[in-house]
Amino acid sequence: MSNQILEVKGLNAAYGESKVLFDVSIAVRDKQVVGCVGRNGAGKSTLLKSIAGFLRPTAGNVTSEGVDLVGRTAYAIAGMGIKYVPQDKKVFSDLTVRENLELGSYASGDYNWDPVLAFFPKLKVLLDRKAGYLSGGERQMLMIGRAILGKPKLLLVDEPTEGLAPSIVTHLKDVFRELSKSAALVIVEQNLPMICGIANKIYALNEGRLVAELTDPEQIRPEVCEPYL
Amino acid sequence: MSVLRWWSGLLVAFGLLVLLRIFLPLPFNNEIIIFSIYVIGCNYLLGRVGFISFGQPAYLAVGAYGTAFYLYYFGGNPYVGILVGIVSGIVVSALVGPLFVRLRSDYFALVNLALAVIIFFLMQKVLASVTFGDNGLELLTKMDVTPILDISRPDQFWVFAFVSAFGVWALYKYLDDSVFGACCLAAKANEDKLRFLGYSNYGIRLMAFVVANTTTAFAGALYAVHQGLVSPEMSSPARAADPVVVTILGGVGTLYGPLVGSIAFVGMKDLISKVFGHWELIVGFLLVFVMLAGERGIWGSLEPLLRRWILRQRETDKPVVADAGVKAR
Amino acid sequence: MIDPQLLLSGVIFGLSMGSVFFLMTVGLSLCFGLMRIISLDQLLYYSVGAYLTYSVSLAVGNVWIGALAGVAVAGATALFVERFVFLRIYARDITFSMITSFGILIGGIGVIKVIWGLVPRPVPVPIEAQWNILGTDVPVYRLAVVVLALLVYAGIWLFLNKTIIGKAIRAGIEDVEHVEGLGINVYRLFTLTFVIAGALSGLAGGLHAPLIMVFPDMGLEVLAFAFMVVIIGGLGSIKGTFISAFLVGQVVSIGSLIYAPLAQMAPFAIMLLILLIKPTGLYGSAMLKR
Repeated sequence: MSNQILEVKGLNAAYGESKVLFDVSIAVRDKQVVGCVGRNGAGKSTLLKSIAGFLRPTAGNVTSEGVDLVGRTAYAIAGMGIKYVPQDKKVFSDLTVRENLELGSYASGDYNWDPVLAFFPKLKVLLDRKAGYLSGGERQMLMIGRAILGKPKLLLVDEPTEGLAPSIVTHLKDVFRELSKSAALVIVEQNLPMICGIANKIYALNEGRLVAELTDPEQIRPEVCEPYL
Repeated sequence: MSVLRWWSGLLVAFGLLVLLRIFLPLPFNNEIIIFSIYVIGCNYLLGRVGFISFGQPAYLAVGAYGTAFYLYYFGGNPYVGILVGIVSGIVVSALVGPLFVRLRSDYFALVNLALAVIIFFLMQKVLASVTFGDNGLELLTKMDVTPILDISRPDQFWVFAFVSAFGVWALYKYLDDSVFGACCLAAKANEDKLRFLGYSNYGIRLMAFVVANTTTAFAGALYAVHQGLVSPEMSSPARAADPVVVTILGGVGTLYGPLVGSIAFVGMKDLISKVFGHWELIVGFLLVFVMLAGERGIWGSLEPLLRRWILRQRETDKPVVADAGVKAR
Repeated sequence: MIDPQLLLSGVIFGLSMGSVFFLMTVGLSLCFGLMRIISLDQLLYYSVGAYLTYSVSLAVGNVWIGALAGVAVAGATALFVERFVFLRIYARDITFSMITSFGILIGGIGVIKVIWGLVPRPVPVPIEAQWNILGTDVPVYRLAVVVLALLVYAGIWLFLNKTIIGKAIRAGIEDVEHVEGLGINVYRLFTLTFVIAGALSGLAGGLHAPLIMVFPDMGLEVLAFAFMVVIIGGLGSIKGTFISAFLVGQVVSIGSLIYAPLAQMAPFAIMLLILLIKPTGLYGSAMLKR
C-alpha cells in the first residue's frame, strides 16, 4: 500500500471532444503543500475536478493511499476526506452562513465549529447573515470553513486568492500553513509570492501537459516560477 | 456526378415510397406522406435549432383551418385552398415567432403547447359559429374538380402529396447544406460564438421557426383536403406528443428520420389498435425505450450502418478500378 | 354586473381549483429547481392518485382513506420511475427529460386504460355539508381542499427551512455540484424530492377526484393548466408556483362567470402577456445551469 495521500498517474481528461489534460502525473504526500501553476486554460482546474470526481478521466489512475478514486462519485470522494473548493466563490446565497456550515457538518458528521471559527473569527459575527450578502473574501472563508469540517486529509483549492484584497491573501496564507499541520493541500494559484511562500512542491502545467516539477526549496521562488505563467 | 450524388439519397428514399404505394393501401400511403411532412418541421426545430415544441398541432390547425375557411366560405379550388393554408402558416408563425424564439428552450416547449390549447378552444368554442365546433367543417362537397390533377380524389391526391413531399425534402436538404443550416446548428451549440461571427442568433432562430412551422401548416392544409373535414380535434393537446414521438422514433436531426418514423408510427398505430387496442401504452413506453437506448431513433441508428456499408462497397470497388488503371498504363 | 352570491361561490371554486393546481405543480417545480428536469409524468401520478381514490373508496367506503392510498401508490410509482428512468437521465439535457417524461405519461395513461377502462368513474364527495356564508351555500369539501393545500404549502416551507435535508435541497437548487462537493449524496436528495413530488401530485388527484369524474385522459386534460401555472410562477420557485396556481384558479373560475369560453383561454392570454414582459415567469431564475 502506498502512503501517498494522492497519486495521479498518466491522467487524461476531456470535455466532450476537446482534450484538456495529457498524461499528467503528480504525487502528494501527507501534510505536504503542493502548488499548481500555469496559464489560464492550462488545465489546472480540470486536474482538480478530475481528482474530485466531477469529471471522469478518459485515461489514467487516481489513487489515495492505495484506494482507486476513478469512477467514484464526487460525494463519495468528498466523504473519503478529499474536499474540493472550487474557484467560483459560490456559497449558497439563499442560506445563512450558519446554514452553510450546517450543511458542511451534515455532510461530514463533524459538528465542532470551533476550529473553523478560530481560523475565521469574522464568520462568527456573520453567522445569521445570508451568504449572498458576503464579500468575496468572506465567501472564500466560508467555502474553506465549510470544507475543513470533518478534518479532511486532502484539500483541493482552486485559485483561492483570485480577486481578493492583500490583507485577506495574507490571512489565507496563514490559514493554509496552519492547515498543513493536519492535512495535505493542493492549491492552484496564480499569485506566485503567496504560493511559493507555503508550498513544498510546485507543478507547472502548460496546455494540458506537465512542464515542470520543483521540489528544491531553493527553486520554489516566484522568479523561477514566473516563466510558467 | 456530384449533382447526382446530392440527389441520390432523395431519389432512393422516394423510390421506396413509390414501392410502398404499390404494396400498401392508399389511405395508409396518404397518411404517412402527410404525417412525415408534419413531422419534418418539428424534427428541424429539435435537431437543428435545439427547440423542442409540444405545440406543433397549433400550426397544423392553422394550416388546416386556413384551407378550410377558404374552401367553405370563399372558393372551391383546393390548390388555392392549400396556398391560403400555407400563407396563414407564414402569417401566424411570423406573428408569434418574435415572441417565442426569445424564450429558453424549456419555456419554448410549454408556450407552444399553450398556443395549441388556445387555438383548440378558439376553434371549438369561441369561433363555433364559423367553425361549427366539434362537428367541424365539412369540405368534401365544397371542392371543385380541378383539371390535370384532381386532388379531391384520394389516388390523385397521393400523386400531389408525393410530389410536394419530394419538394419539401429537397428544400430541407438544401437548407442543411446551406450557410443558414450551419448557422442553425451553431446557434444550437453555442449562441455566443455565433454572435461573434456576426450572425444574429435571434434572426436565425426566427427564420428557422417560420420555415419549420410553415411546413407544418402545409401538412395541415394537405390534411384538410385529404380528409375533407377539419375539426378542433386536430390541435387537441392530447395529440401534442405525436410529432415529438415520431421525431425521436425516426431519429432527431436526420433528414429521413421523419419518413421512417412516420411509417413506423402510423403502421404501428394501425396494427396495435387492431390487435391490442391500447396503442398509447406501446407508443409511450417505446418513446422511453428509444430515449434510454441512446435517443438515436430508428433511422438515426440505421444511417451510420448504411453509410459504412456503402463505403465498404465503394472500397471493394476501388482496388479493381485502380488495378485497371495500372494495367492500362 | 355579476351577482355577488355567484361571485362568492366563484371565488371559492377558484380557490379549490387553485389548490389542486398548486399540489399538482409544486412537485414539477421542485424537480426542475433541484434536478433541472421537467417531469411531465407528475400528471400521471395525479391520475394514479385519482384512480386509487376511486377504487379504494369504492372498496372501503371512505374517500379519505382512498386519497391516502392514492398518495401512497402515487409516491411508490414515482419511486419506481425515478429508480428505473430518471436516475439514468439526470445528467442529460433538459429537453431529454421532457420527452422521456412525456413518454412515461402517455404510456402510463395506456396502463390506466388497461386496468380501469375508458369509462369515466364518479367518486363521492366525502363531506356533503354546505356552509352558509353571506347567504351563499358553500360546499365544505371545497374549503377543506383549500385548507389542505395551505397546510401542504406550510409543510413544504417548514421542511425546506427548518430541516437539514430541506436546507440541502435549497442549497442544491442554487448549485447542486457544490452540495455534492461537500460530500452529500445528492442522488438520495433527488430520489426524495421526486417521491415527495409524486406523492403531492397523487394528493392533488385524490382531492380533485370527488369534484370531477375520474377518466383516463384527466392528466392530459390538466396538462396545459399545469404548464401554465409553472410558467407564470417561474420554474423552480415554490412561492411563484403557489401564487400563480391561485391566480390561474381564480381566472378560470371568475372568467367562466363572465363568458364561459373565456375560462379556458384567459389564463393562456395572461401567460403570454407575462412571458412578454418577463420571459422567465414571475419568480423564475434567469440562469439555467448544466
